[in-house]
Amino acid sequence: MSYVLAKSKDEEIHKAGECGGAVTSIFKYLLDEGLVDGVLALRPCDDVYDGVPTLITNSEDLIGTAGSYHCAPTMVGDLIQKYLIDKKIAVSVKPCDIRSIDELIKRHKINPDNLYTIGLNCGGTVSPVSGRKMIDLFYEANPDDVISEEIDKGQFIIELADGSEEAVKIHDLEEKGYGRRNNCQRCDVKIPRKANLACGNWGAEDGWTFIEINDEKGQELIDGAKKAGILETKSPSDAAVEGRSKVENIMIKMAKKNQDATYPSVNGIDDWSRCISCYACRDICPICWCYENCELNKSYFDEKDIPPSPIAFQGVRLSHMSFSCCDCGQCDDVCPMDIPVSLIFDKLQKKYCNRTGYVAGVSTDSKPPLYSPDKVEL
Amino acid sequence: MLEIKHTLCPSCSVGCGINVILENNAVVGTFPYKRHPVNAGKNCANGRNSIGNFVNKINEASISQANVDLDKAFAEVSKEINANDKVTVFLSGNNSLADAEAIKSFSEEKNLDLVFYADDLRNFEDVASYDDVEDASCVLVIGDVLYENPLIGRRIVHAKQNGAKIFSNIKAEKSVTANISDETTSGSVQEFLDTYKDNLDDSSVVVFNTVDCEDDLDKIEELGFKILPVYSKTNTKGILSIADSNSKEEIIEALNDTKVLLIFNDDVVDDFDFDFKSISKVISFSAFKNNTTEISDIVIPIKSWLEYEGSVVNAMGETQTFVPVMESDVLSVEEVIEKIKG
Ligand SMILES: Cc1cc2nc3c(=O)[nH]c(=O)nc-3n(C[C@H](O)[C@H](O)[C@H](O)COP(=O)(O)OP(=O)(O)OC[C@H]3O[C@@H](n4cnc5c(N)ncnc54)[C@H](O)[C@@H]3O)c2cc1C
Ligand code: SF4
Ligand code: SF4
Ligand code: SF4
Ligand code: SF4
Repeated sequence: MSYVLAKSKDEEIHKAGECGGAVTSIFKYLLDEGLVDGVLALRPCDDVYDGVPTLITNSEDLIGTAGSYHCAPTMVGDLIQKYLIDKKIAVSVKPCDIRSIDELIKRHKINPDNLYTIGLNCGGTVSPVSGRKMIDLFYEANPDDVISEEIDKGQFIIELADGSEEAVKIHDLEEKGYGRRNNCQRCDVKIPRKANLACGNWGAEDGWTFIEINDEKGQELIDGAKKAGILETKSPSDAAVEGRSKVENIMIKMAKKNQDATYPSVNGIDDWSRCISCYACRDICPICWCYENCELNKSYFDEKDIPPSPIAFQGVRLSHMSFSCCDCGQCDDVCPMDIPVSLIFDKLQKKYCNRTGYVAGVSTDSKPPLYSPDKVEL
Repeated sequence: MLEIKHTLCPSCSVGCGINVILENNAVVGTFPYKRHPVNAGKNCANGRNSIGNFVNKINEASISQANVDLDKAFAEVSKEINANDKVTVFLSGNNSLADAEAIKSFSEEKNLDLVFYADDLRNFEDVASYDDVEDASCVLVIGDVLYENPLIGRRIVHAKQNGAKIFSNIKAEKSVTANISDETTSGSVQEFLDTYKDNLDDSSVVVFNTVDCEDDLDKIEELGFKILPVYSKTNTKGILSIADSNSKEEIIEALNDTKVLLIFNDDVVDDFDFDFKSISKVISFSAFKNNTTEISDIVIPIKSWLEYEGSVVNAMGETQTFVPVMESDVLSVEEVIEKIKG
């Protein structure tokens, strides 16, 4: 593992990029050299709150994907597994994305040889609809006038078309039920070290991207992009590396504090009584890959009541995959009844982790220790 | 090439956004449209399964279930319309505003009987918004709205979380709506309204997707509080401003008399206690095979919801537009009408 500061030598990309435009430049290098069939990144559609996964095959189109979309809680693990399995692609990944990809690789559902994963450190994402409401309520600005947003130094900052900025402390927003998604507030994997590279603003100088090079493939990407003349790098100072590590630890501590505060509430949850058995939570889960073969579809699963008994219904999923839950929160996001599904799965994964040491999508084990006696106890 | 595109759910009047996943112009999946203000990326099973229809896509016209040239089918439809004086046109809440206008003026021009079913509900000028439901101090719910229209059900859940009282009238013994209600009755709607009307104030909303009889609608309106009727089809609310609706009984009466029935974009055979096979010619204009096309004498393909541009009005009265996300050579309802006009 080593660190570099990197920035694009392409002026347009440098300007459009969130930090140094390094991620977009590496994507451009991969496409121009024909090393990948496509790049899976996000493109803002309706506005900056609407980041939509887009497969780019022509490097000229990459410019429209540059920048960080904090109100885009997307997930790419299942997209790759379902639709891009036989393609060679590069993809931008938040920690939860790469954790799901890692779990799918462990299940032989994704071929790592076909992938370049460019990680983005992640302090959390905000749901777009509640994000707009939050701006309406807590900022002077009209949500439609926001041209970009960022999370920095504990604040959610918006930038307006006239260049002005407004910032509100994330803590204050979250106290009032806004800010980052609930799962993000618990999420304790902030740097995607299973990706080939982990890129971020922590430790970076203005106009540069701080990159942690996680493996050989990551080093090849940096060397290749430099050689192609699109990227320049320099070494970060020791103070920058240390500062970055400090922020990471603070973020992890905050997440653990949130876990301690929220996990006990699982027992009191009566939200299951409004479950409409729509299976949205299962269908979106990147770890649930059985599809038609899911036990819940089998004729012997005769829990047909609405609401279903949570023990029978979520119990099946809990026992099949909670040990691999990467707390991505997709299940919460899609539940029409706003049931905090991920809280239960995440809590159980942490329990499993406490017994086995296995962190979903992070541990290097070739598979979760499925058959350990500890698991049976769970 | 993988693409994710925005569209609207075609499966009820709530008006949820949905993203479809396309691969080489074929729809292969859905993806949450989290930026959509109505549903924030949440879709019920009906909504997500609406793409399942595409395995039953109709690409060719047929007469007596045998594929025929499209022009031949048009000629046959025109002939049937011109040769009979008892032609009924079935307008559906699935039609867009422009399609409905075209179907209506075609019926008027040709002097055909137009019928339109709006779930035995009717048009109400002023309706509550979904935000009104969330902000209500009290919500009266008629029908299992949480299960049948979950993305309005969710707003009722929010109202409850904000401290609202929820009272519901549901005929089924068990329901999710009852589970979140403070009190639930299973008697008549009239009794229900009498029992709970004193709980209502200016911020309250009556949400309903069914009633026992037409008088209930008058009674709900007379209460004078905010109301939100929820229809089963995407554009029923919009079409109610274009055409009058008919009750089930009125429609069955019209069908009894019908020699030729034209059905635009709907699967109606299971919705009415009527033997559609008794009609001499059933002509279906449909994007997908369904139970109605199955019994139809003539079937004409039309563009599916992912292939045309249009607008609809959702339950809270907001006009929503959608654009084609797939290329298609199939004709739209408006184009088909031009052809059969001859
Ligand atoms: C939600 C979010 C939170 C972040 N939080 C932190 C943090 O707390 N600390 C930190 O050090 N860094 C954080 N980052 C990373 C940082 O903002 C930059 O993305 C990173 O430094 C790369 O900068 P760049 O200029 O090289 O990237 P660019 O050249 O601008 O490229 C960024 C790439 O990421 C893609 N992308 C944008 N948004 C998303 C998303 N939501 N999900 C997946 N891909 C996306 C873009 O499409 C583009 O391809 C966060 C990024 C995101 C998206
Ligand atoms: S779950 Fe973690 S990695 Fe994923 S968006 Fe939230 S904070 Fe970021
Ligand atoms: S259970 Fe929920 S939070 Fe966990 S991986 Fe699946 S979708 Fe993500
Ligand atoms: S998404 Fe929500 S309502 Fe649907 S099955 Fe899952 S928990 Fe139940
Ligand atoms: S509630 Fe209605 S509009 Fe929304 S997803 Fe379900 S069927 Fe579609």
